[in-house]
Amino acid sequence: MNRLSQNLILVLLGGAVLRISAFSTTYLNYVKPGFRPFLIGAGAVLLVLGLTGLVQAWRAKEGAGDGHAPAGGPPAGGNGHDDPAGDGGGRGQGHGHGHGHGGPRIAWLMCLPVFAIFLIAPPALGSFAAARSDDPPPRRSQALTAFTPLDGKGPVDMKISEFIARAWDDEKKSLTGRTVRLTGFAVPSRKPGRWYLTRMQLACCAADAFPLKVLVKGVEAPPADTWVEVTGTWIPPTFEKMPNGAVHPELSATGLVEIDAPAEPYED
Amino acid sequence: MGIMSRIHTGPRQWTDEDDSLPPDSWGRAPSVRRALPWGFVLVVALLVVGRFALAPHLASPALQTWATIFVAICVQALPFLVFGVALSAAITAFVPASFWTRALPRRPAAAVPVAGMAGAVLPGCECASVPVASGLMARGVTPAAALAFLLASPAINPIVLVATAVAFPGQPLMVAARFGASLVVAVLVGWLWLRFGRSDWLRIPSRPHGEGSKLAVFGDAMRHDLLHAGGFLIVGGLAAATLNVLVPREWLTAVAQVPWLAVLVMALLAVLLSICSEADAFVAASMTAFSPTAKLAFLVVGPMVDLKLIALQVGTFGRAFAARFVPLTFVLAVAVSALSGWLLL
Repeated sequence: MNRLSQNLILVLLGGAVLRISAFSTTYLNYVKPGFRPFLIGAGAVLLVLGLTGLVQAWRAKEGAGDGHAPAGGPPAGGNGHDDPAGDGGGRGQGHGHGHGHGGPRIAWLMCLPVFAIFLIAPPALGSFAAARSDDPPPRRSQALTAFTPLDGKGPVDMKISEFIARAWDDEKKSLTGRTVRLTGFAVPSRKPGRWYLTRMQLACCAADAFPLKVLVKGVEAPPADTWVEVTGTWIPPTFEKMPNGAVHPELSATGLVEIDAPAEPYED
Repeated sequence: MGIMSRIHTGPRQWTDEDDSLPPDSWGRAPSVRRALPWGFVLVVALLVVGRFALAPHLASPALQTWATIFVAICVQALPFLVFGVALSAAITAFVPASFWTRALPRRPAAAVPVAGMAGAVLPGCECASVPVASGLMARGVTPAAALAFLLASPAINPIVLVATAVAFPGQPLMVAARFGASLVVAVLVGWLWLRFGRSDWLRIPSRPHGEGSKLAVFGDAMRHDLLHAGGFLIVGGLAAATLNVLVPREWLTAVAQVPWLAVLVMALLAVLLSICSEADAFVAASMTAFSPTAKLAFLVVGPMVDLKLIALQVGTFGRAFAARFVPLTFVLAVAVSALSGWLLL
């Protein structure tokens, strides 16, 4: 791969990263919101590196056309230290100084995220990912030991994680008889007459997301992946001890409203 | 030399007179093929065609989930990679070589742990650690200390530790275990080499020379490291996404539940995937089926032994060295990480 291709790859990747972070909110499908400045920074650095490399390569070509060797610009891909390998496989010779071996062929793979971003436009994780993992969510270390009582009238807007925490961990059972309003997307259940209202939560990025599910009874299941707001009351569990396997708190729903998918699809 | 310069004109100068062979470019005329970046033109063409022809068909939920996980790992790891490469390129370009020979103690047995600890403050990507270590040896640093630095700096530098903390939120012990286990392995390998290593196993390369201004060296070091490490990061993202989506969950849990098998599988995966140490924490965190000890093995083995490093070590120090160094490092890394995981995690 010659210098031109190397730098063009850097420009392409930097441009793709900037496209999803600086010029839109697509990055929220993949990483936490606070990560935006770092993404923009990294995309900008890649872009600048690629552009300056292109300028250098262009100047070197001009210089070579005048008949003397390019000054100051080290050969493609090398700097003044030993650099034998890097391609998948690698060549087993040591070179005393970096003369152009071109860039490593494996760097072509850096075009793949660009393809993914532009061709597939991967969306936020949905019912496919939620249905795949039925493990109970890992217990967050910052457990709320004291739940504030839910006063007032009318439905209380609540995050699903808070609903689950209150359902299992609240000794005072603050949810009893209280109408709550939860937001999430629909995941179908194998048993009829019920479905899961789900929101994915990130530990670090979308690769380690786990689902937070609430079992909804009482209204008909909307199509999978539809974002809805469900109003209802908690159904207290009938068992004494937590059974093994995945158990989800249950909601007896009275109302359902379809909403647009939010810009921040994951629950923090 | 006079005859040669009459025959060849233009940019063909035999600039390095230490070398007994003329530069490669004398052998053949520069082909027109290299003038246009054909590979890149193909990439752009594929992108444009794909946007219009393929995009509607690429909508299956499995493919989209796979793509989301893949892009998430790449995008999450990229800023750490860029920053780590920038720091390590800055050190390559701006820290004078004499600093090293002055900073390390004279006695080799003491120089080994100091060099290992130096890895905690000086970020070195794996791609840079081998050349930096060979440069140290060429400047007179005792080989065992240079090897300890080679192992420690990709594993325990601040960028890597921050990345590990970000990848495993609420699990500070994972960061501590990575730091401790990696440092112990680096120092142990250094001491063992000091005690049992023979100089004829190690081919110390000749002194490298820097070219161009410091800024140019910095920029080129950055580009070089980014291209090498970036490619392998993508491989790691592909593997993690595929493991997450295509491999049935039951297989993963079946392997993950046998402790020694889980540790070994993750260690071998780390060797195969060759991900840069600034980014491997995110790939490890995505393997949610495995135990923390298995993930720790992935994190400790990865920066020290992987296909990319083996190739670099064979090329720089010779086969006799790599044939002894690689198995030693692998066994120690697995053992120490299993022990640390059992103690701490």
